[in-house]
Amino acid sequence: MSLVAKYLKPEVVRQIRRLDLRAKFIVRGFFQGLHRSPFHGFSVEFSEHRKYTPGDDPKDIDWIVYAKTDKYYVKKFEAETNITGYLTLDLSRSMGYTYRQEVTKWDYAVSLAAALCYLMIQQQDPVGLFTFDEKVRASLRPKSKRTQLGDVLAILARSQPTGRTDVAACLTQIAGMLRHASLVMVFSDLLGQPEPILQALYRLRHRGHDVIVFHILDEAEVRFPFDGLVELEEPETGQLVEVDASDFRHAYLEELQQFQNTFRRECAQAKIDYVPLDTSMPFDRALSEYLINRSQRS
Amino acid sequence: MTFLNVSLLGGMALIAVPILLHLLLRRRPRRVEFPAIQFVRQRQLPQKRRLRIRHWLLLALRVAVIGLLSLAMARPSVIFSGDWALTEEPVAAALIFDTSVRMEYRHENRTRLEAAKELALWLLAELPQQSDIAVLSSRSGPVAFEVDRASARQRIGRLESSADSLPLPTVISRALELLQQNEKRIREIYIFTDLARVAWPTSALAQLASQLQNSVGLSVYLVDVGVPEPKDFALSGLQLPRQILSSRGTLVVQTQLEGIGIGGPCTVQLELLEVDPSTGRRSWQKREEKLCQVQAGQAQQVVFRLRGLSAGLHQGQVRIVGGDALPANDVRYFTFEVKTPWQLLLVAPDSSHLVPGFVSEALAPREYRLTGQARYDCRLIRQEELSGVDLSQYAAVILLDPKPLEELLWQKLAGYVADGHGLAICLGRNAQPMDSFLTPAAQSLLPGPLQMQVRRPDFDTYLAPSDRQHPILAEFRRLAGTVPWDDFPVLCYWQLGELAKGVNVIVSYSDGRPALLERPVGKGRVLTLTTPLTDDTNQEPWNLLPVGDAWPYLILVNELAAYLVGAAEHQLNYTVGQTVVLKLPFSGGRRSYVVTAPDGTTFTAQTEGPSNQLLLSPPTLPGNYRVQAGGSPDSGFSINLGPEQTRLERLRPEELNQLLEANNVRLARNRQEINRHVSLGRVGQELFPLLIALVACLWGAELLVANRFYKD
Repeated sequence: MSLVAKYLKPEVVRQIRRLDLRAKFIVRGFFQGLHRSPFHGFSVEFSEHRKYTPGDDPKDIDWIVYAKTDKYYVKKFEAETNITGYLTLDLSRSMGYTYRQEVTKWDYAVSLAAALCYLMIQQQDPVGLFTFDEKVRASLRPKSKRTQLGDVLAILARSQPTGRTDVAACLTQIAGMLRHASLVMVFSDLLGQPEPILQALYRLRHRGHDVIVFHILDEAEVRFPFDGLVELEEPETGQLVEVDASDFRHAYLEELQQFQNTFRRECAQAKIDYVPLDTSMPFDRALSEYLINRSQRS
Repeated sequence: MTFLNVSLLGGMALIAVPILLHLLLRRRPRRVEFPAIQFVRQRQLPQKRRLRIRHWLLLALRVAVIGLLSLAMARPSVIFSGDWALTEEPVAAALIFDTSVRMEYRHENRTRLEAAKELALWLLAELPQQSDIAVLSSRSGPVAFEVDRASARQRIGRLESSADSLPLPTVISRALELLQQNEKRIREIYIFTDLARVAWPTSALAQLASQLQNSVGLSVYLVDVGVPEPKDFALSGLQLPRQILSSRGTLVVQTQLEGIGIGGPCTVQLELLEVDPSTGRRSWQKREEKLCQVQAGQAQQVVFRLRGLSAGLHQGQVRIVGGDALPANDVRYFTFEVKTPWQLLLVAPDSSHLVPGFVSEALAPREYRLTGQARYDCRLIRQEELSGVDLSQYAAVILLDPKPLEELLWQKLAGYVADGHGLAICLGRNAQPMDSFLTPAAQSLLPGPLQMQVRRPDFDTYLAPSDRQHPILAEFRRLAGTVPWDDFPVLCYWQLGELAKGVNVIVSYSDGRPALLERPVGKGRVLTLTTPLTDDTNQEPWNLLPVGDAWPYLILVNELAAYLVGAAEHQLNYTVGQTVVLKLPFSGGRRSYVVTAPDGTTFTAQTEGPSNQLLLSPPTLPGNYRVQAGGSPDSGFSINLGPEQTRLERLRPEELNQLLEANNVRLARNRQEINRHVSLGRVGQELFPLLIALVACLWGAELLVANRFYKD
């Protein structure tokens, strides 16, 4: 296994406690893996100059203009102004679930969201944040400042997945809160009835937003690794179901496949990116999804 | 079904444990937090039903394991013989002993009967108290339960081998009848046998097995006291071609020496009982001895020939010198009578007739006459001379192709025959006119009226004896159908009308008409041949009997003469079981005789009927018997064991299996086997091993299902 592939594994990333470092780690690892220029494939065409302000990268200073005017100006690129991203994270208790006691779905979602946030801010895209369970719990206006990453990560670090959730209602609420066409990135396990959630996603799409749904499930939820007689407990409702896991695995996987196929089919029709993930998968897949969407937008 | 430890059935109560555990303390499945439960709920219902079934299956397996374990510990058993029973319950037992002479076979210094008695006495002590016990032997006799155990013991002690043993299936049937009258629930038959084939006729085995199997509550134990591979020399039989012979004749004694499982040299000796002139006592005198080399499993014929015997009754024995395991088949007894040569009167039609010489030459060949060996003294006379002859000095008269006889002559002949003599009439071309043979005097001797001469010129008619049981045909019986009668055709014969009462057809022609007939007259007999024995073959012969290699003619003439003089049918040697019929020379009503058996015991017997025959019920003791009456010469007879009575050949495995097919019949050879089988018969077949195997299987299944249910 290459070093890059190792870095992108969630269990390695989890060892890095600080979310900002974690985000940087993920993004750098991803780009190293690409072996390409970090901006390759993006629209970086020059559009205008603006005055240099502290915090801008000195390498963006246009020295020719400085020679002519004796003032500092930095180059501004076309694409940088077009994408406003919203990280929308599910705070339900089920997101805090992990079978192997390593990476919870929430950890995975936070790491992924932080990485995307870092990536967008690096590209000077404004990034906003929503967290929700039964209603929207936290929101952050989109900014492209470097300080925005710290703000986002601070909120995420404070948040803990507890209680019940209502994904559909919250997404509907969020759709009402967004004024401009944006990129809405949903991080959720989508556990619940698929129809209302799909309706909420349609609504977002209808309002002109681009939507990426990161459907995050635990490794155990994808593989159903149990054997023998087990009693399954739903963490949000406390509901119990007794099954013979050995016999039941096949049926369960079929049912899950059917659920994911429903989302995949419906999202494709609505031009929503549906990215099924589980906590054992590397982050590059999630990042790729984002970047592909970004390039299409630009 | 019975239980050895009924109390352990209480362990069945433990069945409640898994039921309680199942209902109250059922092991909870492992609880696992799992958010994606919505995918489980969709499919959970059908599996829930399966799970419930599995739970009940698991419970059933556990209950079955405990139940069967408890059942196995109680040691159940199935009774084959019917109702359930306890080991010490009184039984009705019949102890059957094969007491045939074979059981005298000595092995390891014990006869088979002694071995059987020893086992039986032990068994008697082992039988439960208050049991009803019957002791039966293969001798015929009354069958009943003994009064008590002591009398049964005495009865067993008194058992002896006997020559007149019944087949064992017959004895078993009698035992069954006896046991069926008994009210005991457990009925047992113990058969002490050497498993010899002769004691168990194969034809009766299947029926016997079925009969035993259908008897409810009956167990049959075959106690084998035989020797698997017996070793014995045996004289399997004894033949005397002539039991009455002339003093000029030769006594021929034939026997077969068999080596049963043993071979090698063996000496066979012929002895005669002769009176010691000095003491007047009879004792065995060795007359001849032969050293034979016999191979194991094979038989060798031993022939003794004795000449120069004095007139009178002689008794003797042939025996194997030296002892062996079974003495009963080492000796064979015989009785024969020597008489002075018989006087025969041959009556020819006229002097020119040369052919009658055929008959006298056949009866007393010239060579025999010259050497003094001829059995008969034949006198040939013309028919005209017959009226002047004193017939009483002749043992028999043969009329060769007679011409018509005068009425007085017929009467003379009738009186002669009625006195106990023999007359043969060989009808031929001279029997004309027919009317002269139809007179009452002639018809009193002839078997029927002469009707006509039947001509058979096509050479397709010949003598065709069908039933060879008549003494005249005894020699032909031994030749068993190899006689070429069709080489000696009969071209012409007299056809008779309705046969007189009492006439017996001895030989017929191939066309079915009678050829040789017998008519008893008074104490004597008349033989009539419807074709001549002395026809001239140069003048349109009536038959070709004396032509060519005419050995059948020689035998026929000799046997005919022997029958006429009473030497053919006189039987002095019998086998055990045969009724003895002795024709005694005395006449004149009822007379008592003293019969001395071989063991020295005597009993009296009386003659029956006008023929002065002594009838004796079948004697059981082999040996030579003497029959005496005051002032009369001794008579006697011999009794031998039948060859099959001492055959030691055992039942083949397949035949034994046929007997053991009945599931209540068991074979035992010693005390241990008897104990085991009797225990099996009374207590039944233990189911413990079967149940334990079943428990192991169910336990395995339970582990399998439980592991699958509660896999961690």
